[in-house]
Amino acid sequence: MTLGTDNVAASAARSPSSERVHDEFMALTPAAREQREEKLRRILRDDGTTHHAGAIAERSSRAWDLDLLPAVIDAERWAPIEAGLVERAELFNLILADLYGERTLLRDGVLPPEALLIHPGFLRPCDGVRHPGTQQLFLQAVDLLERSDGVYVAAADQTQVPRGIGYALENRTVLSRVVPKIFRRANVLRLSPFFASLRQTLQNLAPELDEPHVVLLSPGPTDATYFEHAFLANYLGLPLVQSGDIVVRDGDVWMKALDGLSRIDVILRQVRDWACDPLELQSDSFLGVPGLLHAARQGRVLLANPIGAGALENPALQRYLPAIGRHFLGREPALESIPTYWCGEADDLALVTGQLEQLVVLPIDHRRDEAPVLYPATMTADERDALRARITHRPEAFAAQRLPDRAGCRQLADDPGAGAQAITRTFCVATGSSFAVLPGGLSRRVPGSERPLDPERWSNRDTWVVSAKPLVPTASPFLDRQGRFKLVDRTPLPSRVVENLFWMGRYAERAESALRLLRTLFLTLNGPDPMPRDVRDALLLAVTRVTGTRPGFEGDGALLEDPDEELLAVVLDARRSGSVRANLAALLAAADDTKELLSSDMLRVLNDIEDANEALGAALTGGLASAPEEALDPLVTALLALAGLTQESMIRGVGWRFMELGRRLERSLQLLALCRSLLIRPLPDGHEEEALQALFLTLEMLITYRRRYRGRVELPQGFELLLIDRSNPRSLLFQLEALQGHLDELPRVGVDTRELQPEQRAALDAITTLRISPLVTLGETDADGTRVELAQLLERLRDRILTIGTVVSERYFEHREGPQLLVPTVWEGE
Amino acid sequence: MNYRITHETVYRYADDVARCFNRAYLLPRHTDRQQCLDARVHVSPTPPSIDEYQDYFANRVTQFAIHQRHRELSITAESNVVMREPNLSASLDIGLTCAEVLSRLRSDRDAATLAAREFLLPSPMIRPRDEFGAYAAPCFAPDRPFLAACRDFSEKIFEEFRYDPGFTTVATPVRAVLEHRRGVCQDFAHLAIACLRALGYAARYVSGYLETLPPPGKEKLIGADATHAWFSVYSPGEGWTEFDPTNNKPAGLQHIVTAEGRDYSDVTPVSGVIFGGGDSHQLDVAVTVARTSGAPIETRRRS
Repeated sequence: MTLGTDNVAASAARSPSSERVHDEFMALTPAAREQREEKLRRILRDDGTTHHAGAIAERSSRAWDLDLLPAVIDAERWAPIEAGLVERAELFNLILADLYGERTLLRDGVLPPEALLIHPGFLRPCDGVRHPGTQQLFLQAVDLLERSDGVYVAAADQTQVPRGIGYALENRTVLSRVVPKIFRRANVLRLSPFFASLRQTLQNLAPELDEPHVVLLSPGPTDATYFEHAFLANYLGLPLVQSGDIVVRDGDVWMKALDGLSRIDVILRQVRDWACDPLELQSDSFLGVPGLLHAARQGRVLLANPIGAGALENPALQRYLPAIGRHFLGREPALESIPTYWCGEADDLALVTGQLEQLVVLPIDHRRDEAPVLYPATMTADERDALRARITHRPEAFAAQRLPDRAGCRQLADDPGAGAQAITRTFCVATGSSFAVLPGGLSRRVPGSERPLDPERWSNRDTWVVSAKPLVPTASPFLDRQGRFKLVDRTPLPSRVVENLFWMGRYAERAESALRLLRTLFLTLNGPDPMPRDVRDALLLAVTRVTGTRPGFEGDGALLEDPDEELLAVVLDARRSGSVRANLAALLAAADDTKELLSSDMLRVLNDIEDANEALGAALTGGLASAPEEALDPLVTALLALAGLTQESMIRGVGWRFMELGRRLERSLQLLALCRSLLIRPLPDGHEEEALQALFLTLEMLITYRRRYRGRVELPQGFELLLIDRSNPRSLLFQLEALQGHLDELPRVGVDTRELQPEQRAALDAITTLRISPLVTLGETDADGTRVELAQLLERLRDRILTIGTVVSERYFEHREGPQLLVPTVWEGE
Repeated sequence: MNYRITHETVYRYADDVARCFNRAYLLPRHTDRQQCLDARVHVSPTPPSIDEYQDYFANRVTQFAIHQRHRELSITAESNVVMREPNLSASLDIGLTCAEVLSRLRSDRDAATLAAREFLLPSPMIRPRDEFGAYAAPCFAPDRPFLAACRDFSEKIFEEFRYDPGFTTVATPVRAVLEHRRGVCQDFAHLAIACLRALGYAARYVSGYLETLPPPGKEKLIGADATHAWFSVYSPGEGWTEFDPTNNKPAGLQHIVTAEGRDYSDVTPVSGVIFGGGDSHQLDVAVTVARTSGAPIETRRRS
């Protein structure tokens, strides 16, 4: 049986290799298969593999949907496909160079001008922009369909931002873990040589440089395939940058790093053509970098793919590929395209309007990156007539394709998707003189065959190209020619990433301290001994102040009477700044922006935080009636795991330092807010002891305190533990000294002095002030019943810590002014 | 006829601009009837470099960036050009008929005609609408000489539209211009192009300057001129012919070309991206077209 037929009678054609793989999958018991599918889903979730709204902070993102069963193809059948793909990529490379160069295709009448010029992917500002050497095209994705005669044909090409390459790698990684034995025995051709080529070619794009600085440019976490960008950046060891991290200056392209500008030589681009440069591409979007196209024009930076490569996605090109092949290569390409018509040709127009319902219609003159596909077969007769009229009115604006009537990847007998069509997307990467093809790719099953090109409806499979013979092991792409590990961590981090790590630390700490205080409150509210009203009120006020959810309990006295609703809001209301949910959302968003730096354990913990955050709503639906503190525990644990991983698994680089800085800064501020709320005006009648107990419980100091001082909670012993005990990782002094340590290690560019910098001075001042304050004096109250000395101390410390935060953020983080266009954007269409 | 053109553009911003990236179409291109002797652009504050290159349409583009804080940006272009009379002036009534032009646009395979087909297609600011074709159709009877028809059509716009600088902005859609029968030179050029393309003819946008002369006995004021725009049509074998519907005449010695494109968006005189600058800016443009040789021509104009 060949790929694409699920008829058992055809199994004679099935070769032993794919047969064997098939049998092995069939040999799995339903339970074993279920268990593996479960494992597969778990791994995908842990890796944060998502598509669409991509961001882990947003639940609207769709988990990547991978089938346990791969599509399998024999190496002997793959070889001619591979050769065809190489030829196609070489041809597309020639076309690209021609379209933005001499345009012999138009001049010599191979391609009607309208067929090229009407397509929005042909960007006139890119005219004359060339990479040195003959290779212009770096990466091409080709979607293959299998015809009923078993021949693979190309349906479409992606050249602006070929998508799916990271997912293909992820699919393979996951599947090889889930079914390791089957995978090992199947002799599946490895993907890693392809990625090694990809990395090598990126390095070689700037031939005059020994170690060109290569980055991956992404639109950011809002992009549907951001997962893939982070995954690729991580795998290839490239800094993941966004447009705001890049600036064009003096003709060169620079990354804004913490210690200044760092020159970029090569950009692996994941931003679509039109969005790359708002100056020249008339974009109203600011995903791009002003001046980037001119830098490419001047040869100061190399973009892979070059801007303008989207012209190759024009479906009308496929209509002329045989002629183009004859023009450039003297022969028609071996890999056929599916039959494609361009209505600018009179014959094609007649055929398309005559057989509309058998075709899919591809408007060429669409806006920027819409590229709609119309399915006349699914239309009413009236809709078809209307479409026919549109086509006849402007024929040059329409292409059409005839899909093979049966297409499918290998169907297993008990496969619920049997009968579905399938498309295999594979990739070609430039190798210097030619192209290398990914042996495999994404096979996507399309349930039902009505709208087969609609990616929304695809589920996906890994594609295994299997060899009859065992494979020779290949070197890891992380090893260079001498077999040594390459240093990939020498490139500086964009300052945006560092800033996000700083905020990750801060938000994590904010969420944690709010949770801790709330947990204490819930415990004591429902405890065996009723809490005195004044203690309870003091704790509620502390909640408002520590979380910064003013007015809260400070405002409305009625809330103090019946605090449940407000307490729930402080946990659950994500729209309320300072709430637990809002802090967690901000934490996850900041994590998204640093995703390529986070280890897989870290991503898993972030997933746990997200899940616990999700679960919170359900756990608290009954209000605070029954053990609400239990609902908070999983989140506290997950946040502690994050803190633990930060300590145990993060390289002590600048990123770690900023994350820790953020955490210490925030913990100091929270501690000060707690002390201010509970200690400045001591409660009468021994109620202060209860307040202190609550404070110590919140800070996980209660056990230590009881053991150490054996008895009543009293000041100034309490102050000692809370404020100046170096052995207590939650004491104020501990935070301040940690802060000081991090500040001393920050990179200082252009500072050539032993003099302390303002933030160091502030830290030293805070530490000294704290240490020279006699604890007894701090405990004294004035006639008013206020601990004046303590209040002054806390105020001064707060001021110094805020100074540190301001100075650090002003010195190290960029304060972006948004770009604007001098001339209003020219509208397109009316 | 020799001219010196000075074109000064000044942006004054409400707040500091931290950096800016600019592109300008200010230097006269080479055409059949125009030769640019020399031209240069001054920018203040001075950018590290000012690059010049030829774009897709063979126009001269100037590109620069400034990374120094500023509140005011001034861009001054100075150029010297020699103008010749267009090749055909009295011959509009002979030559290809409209029907012949339509048919040969599709059948001719010479480089000029293939290149002209670019200008049959919709462009960013000029999208096809049925009413454009309907408006122009009466002028373009199949057996009418095409260029004479274009002259009539240009005159039709001149007669039926009101010159009204207050009515439109750079972003006013062409259909609104047609609907309200008013606009400025850019609108009339866009409208003419939209109509011609709707009928299947190749038409392009020309941006440049028109020399104006002071009333008899008065000194010409510096900066009294302005940028101007008109359109050009293609006839296979006859090449491109320019018409100025704003002033109802074919483009002549006094029409100095800076750039040609599908529409205004291809040849915007100054465009840019700025960082900062507050939420408003003031733009002042001053153009002076001065004769450096040749006899004066009596003229009145509007732009």
